[in-house]
Amino acid sequence: MIRTIVRKEILGNILSFRFVVTLALLLVVVPVTTFVLTNDYLKKVADASLRQSEIETYLRSYGHFNRIGNILKAAEPPIPFNTLVRGLSADVNMAEFDDDPLPVMFPLVDLVFVVAILMSLVALIFAYDAVSGEKEDGTLKLMLANGLARPKVVLAKVAGGAVTLLVPFLMSLIVGLLVILVHPGVDWKAADWGALGLITLGTVLYVMLFYALGVFISARHHASSASIMTSLLVWVLLVLVVPSLSPYIASFLSPTPSRIQVEREAERLGDTERDDLGRKLEAERMRELVARYPVLNERLSEADQKRLMVRDPAARAAFEAATKAKQGAWDEANRVQGDKIDAVRRAAAQKEEAQTELARTISMVSPLSVFTYLATDLSSTGLRDEAYFGRISGVWDREFWDYARKKIADLQAKDPATDWWNTAIDMSDRPRFEYREEALGGRVQAALPGFVLLLGYGLVFFVLAYVSFLKYDVR
Amino acid sequence: MTWTIVRKEILANLLSYKFYVVILLAAVLVATSFFIMTRDYKERLADYSLIRPKPGEPIAVNPPNPLSIFAKGLDEAMARSFEVGPTGISVRAGQKSGNTVFAFFPTPDFLYIVRVVLSLVALLFGFDQVSREKEAGTLRQMLANQTSRSAILIGKWAGNFLSLAVPFLLVTTLGIAVLGLDPDIRFSSDQVLRLGLILALTLVYIAFFLSLGILVSALTRRASSSLVILLFVWALLVFVLPNLGTLVARQMVDVPSVRALSEKRQQVWTREVLLRIRGVGDWASHIKTISAENDALEADYRVKFDRLVNLSKNINRISPVASFVYAATEIAGTGIGEEGAYKSEVGRYKNAVLGKRLASPDLKSSDYPAFLYRYRPLGRVLVRGALFDTAWLAVCGILFFALSYFVFVRYDVR
Repeated sequence: MIRTIVRKEILGNILSFRFVVTLALLLVVVPVTTFVLTNDYLKKVADASLRQSEIETYLRSYGHFNRIGNILKAAEPPIPFNTLVRGLSADVNMAEFDDDPLPVMFPLVDLVFVVAILMSLVALIFAYDAVSGEKEDGTLKLMLANGLARPKVVLAKVAGGAVTLLVPFLMSLIVGLLVILVHPGVDWKAADWGALGLITLGTVLYVMLFYALGVFISARHHASSASIMTSLLVWVLLVLVVPSLSPYIASFLSPTPSRIQVEREAERLGDTERDDLGRKLEAERMRELVARYPVLNERLSEADQKRLMVRDPAARAAFEAATKAKQGAWDEANRVQGDKIDAVRRAAAQKEEAQTELARTISMVSPLSVFTYLATDLSSTGLRDEAYFGRISGVWDREFWDYARKKIADLQAKDPATDWWNTAIDMSDRPRFEYREEALGGRVQAALPGFVLLLGYGLVFFVLAYVSFLKYDVR
Repeated sequence: MTWTIVRKEILANLLSYKFYVVILLAAVLVATSFFIMTRDYKERLADYSLIRPKPGEPIAVNPPNPLSIFAKGLDEAMARSFEVGPTGISVRAGQKSGNTVFAFFPTPDFLYIVRVVLSLVALLFGFDQVSREKEAGTLRQMLANQTSRSAILIGKWAGNFLSLAVPFLLVTTLGIAVLGLDPDIRFSSDQVLRLGLILALTLVYIAFFLSLGILVSALTRRASSSLVILLFVWALLVFVLPNLGTLVARQMVDVPSVRALSEKRQQVWTREVLLRIRGVGDWASHIKTISAENDALEADYRVKFDRLVNLSKNINRISPVASFVYAATEIAGTGIGEEGAYKSEVGRYKNAVLGKRLASPDLKSSDYPAFLYRYRPLGRVLVRGALFDTAWLAVCGILFFALSYFVFVRYDVR
């Protein structure tokens, strides 16, 4: 019997107007998006290789250790998955005078956007009258007048609806992938296909979740016009409002000093406060020394001092002790303040991390955020990739400076007086930064809680739909 | 007669479930958005007081714009601190927070609420205006009397517009009045005027979506199919078209990446510094060369970038939603045009500082001119595009209304 109802649902949906519109919309939007993103990716690849050759030219002419700090930086190249998912790389560069403000005004479309916004809306449009609409048509009464159990009806409705929703999505995705595959410049690896498979699985869960939500809302209303209102309200809150509010709520609950405040505090600690401490320590140490060596109390000019040092070994010892004490006092001040600055920066970074984590957690109230994190983490364009990139670029950084120290040692071995800081060096054998995406295993591990959460939301909505339908007055 | 229909529509709305859900939603969202964005603005103001240059420092900073509470736009980019050194402009204090979750989702400012939520609300008010009354059979009865079709349509439009616009304006004005009580937030009279214009623009925007809703309602027989069509059209207009347009424009205009540009600058600077170390020429001439070459790079980038901006703006304008965003951000002074003007002003300031530096014998001065940015006057903002965008939005709205009239005149009410 269930199969009959599933078939009925599928047929009913396929023949409906909304199915045709959904199919048309997705068949246009997804391929156009992939086409445009693929071209964008190829452009970025060209730009990256052009820049690389510029850097090589630069290093040939100006390979001084003093001149490469701003040039030899680890950079994340475009990855083949950018043909489908842009992720955080769409972020705006605020560190340069010339920035590109266009994405701030309108965030750019990608597959994650299509699924997260369009597919969730479509799911609710399909589901809103699943129960209340049939009641209005009077078919619900007729169905249940036969020996049909209510659990079977609701199960079949969710299953049939989700299947019909996925058909247009998968069709459009296949057309989009054809666009990518046709391009000779894009080289998708096995890991990319694996990630895409998992993202598709996430999409299935995400769409089913919204479909179950729609059926639940439909089973709470007796008129389909009211159930669409509630569905849209819930959709607006879950999809459009909660994610946007979450970082602001997190910054309210777990405030962090702004980066500007932290830098100002660090400057103050390293500047005026260090000077005060240095002077204080110097004065203290000098007091002890003056008690021991009265000669230090005499105000002597530098020349007199030198003469005295030559003449009198005791005075010499006194002055040397004084120089050492002063140096020691300032070293101490630098150390103490340096530790303080580190502590301030560390504390700020920890707070920032805690705030980010909180924002992430709050935003996960919305399935949209869960799906977005899942998809960007799997495609290595998200938060996890940022941390991963930080780690591998750190490793490369250390490697490069080990290499640099070796080069400097070689130079100094040849000529101890060399100005290695400003001497041109052949750096063609330097360790190069090569970005390799994180192995799929790690990404999957990161995305696992997302899958569980999507499944959990789906189950909760399904149970709610089930319970509401059992109690539904079909008359 | 029209007036009776207006009254009937308003009363029907007041008694409906939809009205309360929708107005409550809009009110809560507007209030939340004001609260959050005010806090954000105050935090940025506190940062500004830290990075504000001391007299004589060659630093260009613009205070955060209070209108960014309503339309944040590019204000964060414009409130960065730029230091003018001997080799050019560098960003001293940029990003406010390292919380990357901010980068994932759009800013929930007033503009976002209007653009996304209010447009949907307007469609929900319009989608069943004709088809529902037909389904209910009341349309026949109305037309059986002496009521003309145009009176019905105008009455419906006006009644729904009022029942949406009045509560919305009340909530927003109340919110703005509460903001006005905050001693940290001061609006100049010019900014109050701009805010008024933004609110007026919002009404035009609502009217556009309401007309669209009525048009589709008159084109369909059933309210449910009208809603489905409208939701798809809405998703296209609000999300897909404006976001895709920018990407499409990028396919057509080649703009070097910002990174490539900064690497080129680095090259110029290193070349000149090394020449100087080798003893070729004096510092002043090298600084002049660096500045001139950087200016040329900048000018080249600007030309290409402006072409990209104009093209993507024009493509995006296919959706009047984009026009709305452009007009609102430009009026607020946080739009792309304003940011461009600001950048040019910083460029001019750089040249003034450089002139001062070169005029002093040791190429240093402790007395650089102060930087002050004056926002483009409202008249120029309007002439430079905001008026066009508003007009385009209004024309689209009127067009849809006129079309719905033509369709409704032929509508089979049985």
